[in-house]
Amino acid sequence: MAELTELQVELIAAYIKENGVAQNELQVDLLDHLCTSIENRISQGESFEEAFQYTLSLFGPGGLKQVQNETFELLTEMNAIMKKVTFGFGLTSTFLLLAGTIFKLMHWPGASIMMVLGSGLLVLGYLPMILAHKLKESPKDEALLHIGGFVGLTMTSIGVLFKVMHWPGASVTLLGGMAVLAFGYVPIYFFKRYKTSVNKPVTLSSSMVTMACLILIFALMKTGNSIWYEDGVLRTDELLVQAVEDASASNAAMYAQVNSDDLLTLRRESDDLVKHIDSLKLELLAWAANVPRAEAAKIDLRTLEKMHDLAVGRELMLGVDDEINDGRFSGIELKGMFEHYRNLVLHYYPTELQDVMKNSLGLRTDRAFRNVEGGEQDWIHHQFEYTPLFTLITNLTNWQLEIRQMENQVLLSKISRPEASNPPS
Amino acid sequence: MYHCPMYSQELLKGTLQTIVLSLLAENERMYGYEITQHVKDKTAGEIQLTEGALYPTLHKLEADGFLTTEKVSIGKRVRKYYSLTENGNKQANDKVNEFRRFSETMNELLNSFNPNPELQWQS
Repeated sequence: MAELTELQVELIAAYIKENGVAQNELQVDLLDHLCTSIENRISQGESFEEAFQYTLSLFGPGGLKQVQNETFELLTEMNAIMKKVTFGFGLTSTFLLLAGTIFKLMHWPGASIMMVLGSGLLVLGYLPMILAHKLKESPKDEALLHIGGFVGLTMTSIGVLFKVMHWPGASVTLLGGMAVLAFGYVPIYFFKRYKTSVNKPVTLSSSMVTMACLILIFALMKTGNSIWYEDGVLRTDELLVQAVEDASASNAAMYAQVNSDDLLTLRRESDDLVKHIDSLKLELLAWAANVPRAEAAKIDLRTLEKMHDLAVGRELMLGVDDEINDGRFSGIELKGMFEHYRNLVLHYYPTELQDVMKNSLGLRTDRAFRNVEGGEQDWIHHQFEYTPLFTLITNLTNWQLEIRQMENQVLLSKISRPEASNPPS
Repeated sequence: MYHCPMYSQELLKGTLQTIVLSLLAENERMYGYEITQHVKDKTAGEIQLTEGALYPTLHKLEADGFLTTEKVSIGKRVRKYYSLTENGNKQANDKVNEFRRFSETMNELLNSFNPNPELQWQS
């Protein structure tokens, strides 16, 4: 019986490692197998090279790596129950998330509950099962990589859920998760893949595509919250606030000129309504920042995390349950105040003009408005159901300006024709 | 996994464990190459495994606690001998019995079936 030299054994051992067999126990098995087979053939008169080549050819086209792959497959085969549970988790959470998204887009009830359940199942059920499987299936030195991927995916999923639900901390979680994926998991994963892959161009391009997708999502998030857009709206608000102040000052000066008892009610009601809207703004800010109303005046809208929040206005003005409430501030109350104020102002116009003015004065709440889907909705839902906080604040300032303008028109007519019972032609 | 001119893959799938277990029940302790040669010799080449096809099964049986290994140095390399554990012995009996019953049932079932009735009729 021929016996291989130490050098030949080392050569074979190196060949096994180089051909992708990483598992130690399998290396031992294969080394002994190859050596024994080669020794047998050398004993029958073949050369070492011939015997080596022949033995390798018996392993088929998949070569030694195929043995390792099949071993991994057998050892890591999920048992039937685990498979079913994982599949069930995956399917249910996908279904819930999909249905939740559709419901959300259509503004149907129940969307939030579906999305929370779907994400919960994904984060607490599906992802841990996949992690456990990956940890079992891969070599130990890759454990950290898979845990990293798991953390990244979990954070991203939670971040998306929080973002959709307008819960605090969404952006930080989402960005953190995506950073872990983009700068940690994905590059390392593809680098490892690339090293051992058969078709390197394909691996390279698929890693490029994945990175491009992540970068696109980043970019999308950035433009979605464009600071320039917000800044534009906030500057409009600043202009409007200034205009309200100017109009208040000029109206005050005009009251001093007219000095008519008839106008006392107008002055009181105008001031009250403008003040009411001021405190409503503070209430919204306090609600959004979760601080007492006394501290709301110190809040800077530009730095407020919830400045684009859609839920603040809805919760305060429509009630948390989407049922119109009758608390201290509510959409229905504000609508009533606007209607009352309009009637008061109309009353100062000559009777012949009142019908026309009814449709042209500011603060109109009685017409139908167009909603996002093109249908009709009432004033309260149009103003408060899905309006970002910073737009809502600006709208409120605009209404203050409308009040001052309506007041101003009455004052103007009184100044130009103090005793006029007819309008200027 | 199998290279087999005589039997289809579907037929052989799942029998590899039975083959390995029964061989080890007969032979106490064997190393991988030895098992491969045994299968070849015993079946006169009718069940021909690709080289190395046994190792996944051996590792799986070891992970399931049916086999233990014993390492013996041979010069520069190590030879791993596989043998049955107590559980493995039981499993070998169960698997072999199960397969016997199965093939008896199949025999009875197929006895009445003649794949080519015309031929028989003429003779």
